[in-house]
Amino acid sequence: MVKKLAVFFGFVLFFLLSLMYFTPKENIYFALENELKKYDVIISNESVSDNGFTLSLSDAELFFKSIKSADIKEIDIKIFGLYNAVNIYDVKLSKSASSFLPLNIQKVTITHSIFNPLNVKIYELGDDGELEGSFNLLEMALHIIFEPSELMLEKYKNSMREFKKSEDGSYSYDKTF
Amino acid sequence: MIKLSNSYLLSLLSKLLIILVLTKALSLALLWYLPSDGVELSVQENYKPKYQRVDFKNMIHNAKVVAQKTPTNTAVSVNITNMILKGLYGNKSRGFVIVARKATPKVTTIVGVGEEYLGFKLKSILSNGAVFTKAGKEYILELDKLKLQKSFINKVEKKSSSTSVKNVSRNDIAYYAKNPTKIWKEISIQPLKNGRKLKGFKVTRVLRGSKMAELGLEKNDVIIRANNIELTSLKSVNDLYSNMNNINAIELVVLRNNQEKELVYEIN
Repeated sequence: MVKKLAVFFGFVLFFLLSLMYFTPKENIYFALENELKKYDVIISNESVSDNGFTLSLSDAELFFKSIKSADIKEIDIKIFGLYNAVNIYDVKLSKSASSFLPLNIQKVTITHSIFNPLNVKIYELGDDGELEGSFNLLEMALHIIFEPSELMLEKYKNSMREFKKSEDGSYSYDKTF
Repeated sequence: MIKLSNSYLLSLLSKLLIILVLTKALSLALLWYLPSDGVELSVQENYKPKYQRVDFKNMIHNAKVVAQKTPTNTAVSVNITNMILKGLYGNKSRGFVIVARKATPKVTTIVGVGEEYLGFKLKSILSNGAVFTKAGKEYILELDKLKLQKSFINKVEKKSSSTSVKNVSRNDIAYYAKNPTKIWKEISIQPLKNGRKLKGFKVTRVLRGSKMAELGLEKNDVIIRANNIELTSLKSVNDLYSNMNNINAIELVVLRNNQEKELVYEIN
């Protein structure tokens, strides 16, 4: 019985892996681009490559309402069903944002796991500092804990006013959509 | 002897192969419904000419001053008596002049270097006149000083009543760019939409006595154009803002009481 169950789960795993491998990831990404376009977000001039189980984008330009907002060196998309992640590396924001934020972001990670299905986790590390947050899919609520860098505290005081300073010295931001 | 067809391995392989075929078929079915191309940004080019502020007043004024101070120093000093030189633009070998007959001074003709007028060929343009040639001889036609001065004054008066030119300091621009919240304390501007289409930007509040109020914008003005660029998208505003360091003048066209009004700012 145990052997039969093990064989069954083995087949299921093989089915899922082969499905992941054969899934037309590039085309799913194109469908995602079409969805983002509805919100005036366009990722342009990127090179897309299907790496079997993951999808990589490189040298992308991000536009919001046709305004160039950022240059992105690399994006890795992992969709495993049980665990899904988007890793974004080396982001340079547009100069027009220099009044509000430092322009360099080293890494942004967005993850969703079946073990915490109602929350999407967000992590960001850049010249602005370190940011951790979560987006609750049920309540449509964003909660962010921000540890600003010295640069952010010194030069971007206006932007820091958007965050609420808690008693322990950390900064938080909450918004419901 | 064990039959190959009965082997467990072959059975397993065939099942795995069936799974592979099945998943491939599913992915192909999915491919049928998915788009084959991504989205790329397509920017509609603005074919309108780049805004350039040309100060004709200075050009004519300079010509007039030179005409008074600089004596003619060319070898030939024969005037064309039945022609008036009303204006000129250019240098020695390039440019044009505006000429008319003395009998009909209001009927003017623009003549380029190398072109002919009443049998006289325009050879070159001087600071205070133009050199024409006819039958191998050179003639100098000087600027019509008195009439030029009169028309110049009229033009300036008319211009000052229709547009307002204000000076804006580059330091102020840099200060507001660094402190954008200061802008929104002094002025409120909202996008004005017609359905989903952006028509312009409406000024909803201007703080009295502020720097923004000095710019001449008033409540309920709708900014529709800047430097020949229609402000129908955030991109056009962003392009203007990004290019701010390279421009010396901004021409805003606003709708005030349903009439277009031009506001000109010179950046110093």
